[in-house]
Amino acid sequence: MRQFHSLLLCLSCLSFTLASSDYHEQLLLKPLHPSLLLASFNFQSNTTLASFEQQNFRYFPRSLGQILQHANTRELHLRFSLGRWDAESWGARPWGGAREGGTGVELWAWVEAETDEVADGRWLTLTNALSGLFCASLNFIDSTRTTRPIMSFQPSGDHKNSTFESLHLLHGTLPREVVCTENLTPFLKLLPCKGKAGISSLLDGHKLFDASWQSMSIDVRPICPLASNDCQLQITQTIDMVLDIQRSKRPRDNPIPRPVPNEELKCDTSKPYHTEDTCYPLDTAAREEEWTLSQIFGHPLKGACPLATDGIDPVCISVPHARQVFSSEGSHEHKDSSGFMRCYHLDSEKDFELVLPQQEISEKAPLEQPLLYAERSFIGYGQERGGVQAILTNPSLTEAVDFIYMESLPWFMKLYLHTLNAKINGLDTHQDVIQEMYYRPALDRKRGTQLEIRILIPANSTVVLTYDFEKAILRYTEYPPDANRGFDVAPAVITIGNVSIRTTSLLLPLPTPDFSMPYNVIILTSTVMALSFGFIFNLLVRRFVAVDEADQWDVRSVRLKVAALIKGKLKRFRKRVKMEKKE
Amino acid sequence: MSASSQAPIAFEPGAHADGKDAKKSEDVPANAVSATPKKKEPPPESPESIRQRSYVVLSFWAIILIIGLPIWWKTTAIYRARLPLDQMMDWADGRACRPVFPLRISIEADSLQDHEAQHLLRTTQHALDDLNDFSAHHLRLELSPSNASTAATGLSTGGVENEELALVIRLLPGTTTKADLQSYAPILDIYYTPNQIPSSSSSSSSLGNYIANRLRGMFAEEQAMISYLLSTSSAPPERSPKALAPEVAESLAKWTTRSMKYSRTYHLTFSLFTPTATPSSWDIASALEEHLKPLLESFSSISNFTIDTQVQLYATPGVSGNVLKKEDLSGFINAAEWPLSPSIGGAPTINFIIYVGDMEVEGGGKGWLIPQWGGVVIQSDISDLRPAMLIFSNQLMSLLGAPESGSLPLRLMTLVRVRSAGLLLKASGTMGSLARLTLALPSISIPRSVADGVYTTIEHLRKACDGLGGQEALENARIAEEAAEKAFFEKSMVGQVYFPDEHKLAVYMPLLGPVGVPLVMTVLKEVRAWRKRRRGSR
Repeated sequence: MRQFHSLLLCLSCLSFTLASSDYHEQLLLKPLHPSLLLASFNFQSNTTLASFEQQNFRYFPRSLGQILQHANTRELHLRFSLGRWDAESWGARPWGGAREGGTGVELWAWVEAETDEVADGRWLTLTNALSGLFCASLNFIDSTRTTRPIMSFQPSGDHKNSTFESLHLLHGTLPREVVCTENLTPFLKLLPCKGKAGISSLLDGHKLFDASWQSMSIDVRPICPLASNDCQLQITQTIDMVLDIQRSKRPRDNPIPRPVPNEELKCDTSKPYHTEDTCYPLDTAAREEEWTLSQIFGHPLKGACPLATDGIDPVCISVPHARQVFSSEGSHEHKDSSGFMRCYHLDSEKDFELVLPQQEISEKAPLEQPLLYAERSFIGYGQERGGVQAILTNPSLTEAVDFIYMESLPWFMKLYLHTLNAKINGLDTHQDVIQEMYYRPALDRKRGTQLEIRILIPANSTVVLTYDFEKAILRYTEYPPDANRGFDVAPAVITIGNVSIRTTSLLLPLPTPDFSMPYNVIILTSTVMALSFGFIFNLLVRRFVAVDEADQWDVRSVRLKVAALIKGKLKRFRKRVKMEKKE
Repeated sequence: MSASSQAPIAFEPGAHADGKDAKKSEDVPANAVSATPKKKEPPPESPESIRQRSYVVLSFWAIILIIGLPIWWKTTAIYRARLPLDQMMDWADGRACRPVFPLRISIEADSLQDHEAQHLLRTTQHALDDLNDFSAHHLRLELSPSNASTAATGLSTGGVENEELALVIRLLPGTTTKADLQSYAPILDIYYTPNQIPSSSSSSSSLGNYIANRLRGMFAEEQAMISYLLSTSSAPPERSPKALAPEVAESLAKWTTRSMKYSRTYHLTFSLFTPTATPSSWDIASALEEHLKPLLESFSSISNFTIDTQVQLYATPGVSGNVLKKEDLSGFINAAEWPLSPSIGGAPTINFIIYVGDMEVEGGGKGWLIPQWGGVVIQSDISDLRPAMLIFSNQLMSLLGAPESGSLPLRLMTLVRVRSAGLLLKASGTMGSLARLTLALPSISIPRSVADGVYTTIEHLRKACDGLGGQEALENARIAEEAAEKAFFEKSMVGQVYFPDEHKLAVYMPLLGPVGVPLVMTVLKEVRAWRKRRRGSR
């Protein structure tokens, strides 16, 4: 895994040196245990800043370029993510977590503006325009969901010192957003080869959103080589997904999982109780799963994208050299000296296919250990108060880890900062775990809480960070249509230098009213008011007399009266009928 | 109410009892007691308690009428800003403004004597007036200052001195009679033979008629456009010109559907679409610089333009086949896959597309125009972009609504006049719609911003109407149209359009029913008792 990571780093170095090359793409495949496959797609294109400003677009997508210019955005990072990265069994995140966002949609950008108000206006323009472009509810990133992080994010592009002063970092999250095919389609449209050729031809909404974990990212940043004026604007698009090989291999026309027929069961025949109808499943951990590229992605790769002319092999797979890998004709295999990586050069005309047969090998590509394990959950109970607990573990036996933990909480989750508490290995220590803190309290309906904490965790220790909060009661119209589902709380962002980790999002249940309430309230209060009014009014207006002095309610007399009335009417009616007949 | 029926002691409504007694006493005064022998009559009420009861009832009603009603009125009232409805309807019906386009045409006749020039002017104007049947569009001749300085009475009036000239006619002596319109300036050279100079006695001259016919021909299209605009608006019929010929009307209808809505700024997007991976670059920047920039610069007084370009590979059109039929053309743009997203910001986008391919349009031709959207050119070789750029310039002109004939400066000036007329009529129409809407839906709220928008619109409409024909009028008409649209599509107006009466009743009923009934009944009883007492005392 370390090789894998170093290759990624090396690639990003290459992109610096090969800045003159305009387009480049690469797919990295990495089997994970057990029977999972991590596929990392990376697309990168450059344009000179001059032609960007003239709006002559070639590889850089026009639709995005126009938005960036309209909103005066100098650097943009957009993420669409789904699922949870299982760091315990999958190791460190691809790209060091730098190309990854929290569940849902995450957006942060450096906007050039003279004042905060102007920046807010441009941010609004940006989110609205991006919302249209990516068919996502980005326009719901309003002031309550926007923060201005102080410590967590640093610009990754090269900005001139003169403009740097007027850059505003704005960060917004939409943890509720469900990322789906309609977000992938515009994403692919931004690519020069549009999913028709090259590695992007493998991308398919059915497979991508069936993944155990997936993340799409778009980064736009300026690159200015030192002591040179020809700046470039670089757009990097990545898609990372963890696919379940078994699940992906299911035939498309018959996707419902069915029990394996008896004769196909792999049983451990050495067990004494093994009979026709009793089976002890064979341990398949030692055996590598059999798969092909077209099984996993539904179809083979449709040749190389002819625009990528930088000579970098577009497909790489990270398996031990001992593993058998067959590739289709017309491609050339290059093995890496590290022993765990091989890359393929593709023909642009022919389809490309990779076949990995079932194989029993002991050697496995090593997993890279993440720098930190992070987990966050709700504690406490009841409708009024609650708490949050973040468990942060430093797995390193020798080195302490220093990082920034950022929370952006919605305003209706009212944080009690005095309850913030950090325990090391279960003990309240006097050690300085919390090094530095930035806190911006929430304003009701205006902005959320922003909390950034710099934490130092000594080697091989676990820090449990807890704090309490109070749940606000919302107004009737502020509840979403499915209010009982709960409210999503954005993931915490942990930044360790260039590496970043995001926890999962949380689902906060708030006290939810009965929504037929207004009419009930109207009717109930009206009844109570009418009753009391009637009582008082009658007391004041009516005259009290003795029972025998009161008018008797005589049913017979009423009946007689009604009968006489009807008779009279009938008589009159008959008379009239007779008169008419006479005429 | 309910309490009274359950109480052990019978509540006897005093007034009611009195009323009943009154009736009985009228019918059978003598044996009233014997009719109900078991019932004792309650002692007569003291006048003091009667008075007290009426005070109670009165005070309840007073509270309701003085405090309750105003509060209810105030809290449920919808804010409706006062709109100048009459003025708005005046504009919509064309009563407020009579669109007149006086076109000043200057004649430079240095080779003629002053009196000859004056005479020629008069006869030509006369001929023009005879030819013209549309009063709103009026050509006015005048001598150019070099002549006019000596002319005692020009036909030009002082009020229009600041307007720019629509055309300059230069009279030049020549061997044959011919007219020559200069391409890059609004100047018409007319050559005349010496024998055409009119004698001062004749009332008409062949040269005058020639000029008049020539001018009429040049401005016929503009006249038709304006009269078409007026005829489609709700202007009073006596003002609109005589009906246009059907084929002219049809071509003008096409012209209106084709041209884009007027805007101060347009985005132009030039896209190269190719079904394969090549070509992935084109020399668009220099082609635009050479072929399109000059045109756009001449437009600068009417509209501004921003330009962007893009290359899109692996783009398949919405139709298949190598020969495109006429009905295929509308489906050629693959809107689902081609990234031609509308631009952000207020300005509309005009798309121009070069599609690299071997396709052919049935009946010849390689390009076509898509109304209110842009143009497409199919071209297999993109090394030379000149032909495509020329097609695009033509398409741009017609998308912007410019007339088809005439030299460029004249077309642009016509465009200014036609656009201002169109905007003026549109804004007036919107005013009318808003006024009708306000009257038709008394339950919608009208925020102050709408009223402000209406006043802005009317103010700028007035300015535009006064100076029709010039640049300023166009600008004013544009502001008016923008403000009118903004006022008409005010969001907060739409929100409360439908708040049905049943709904209100459902909300009020639980309170008003149980409270209102006893209040009303008591008043009725009190009134009845009072009448009885009065009759009794009489």
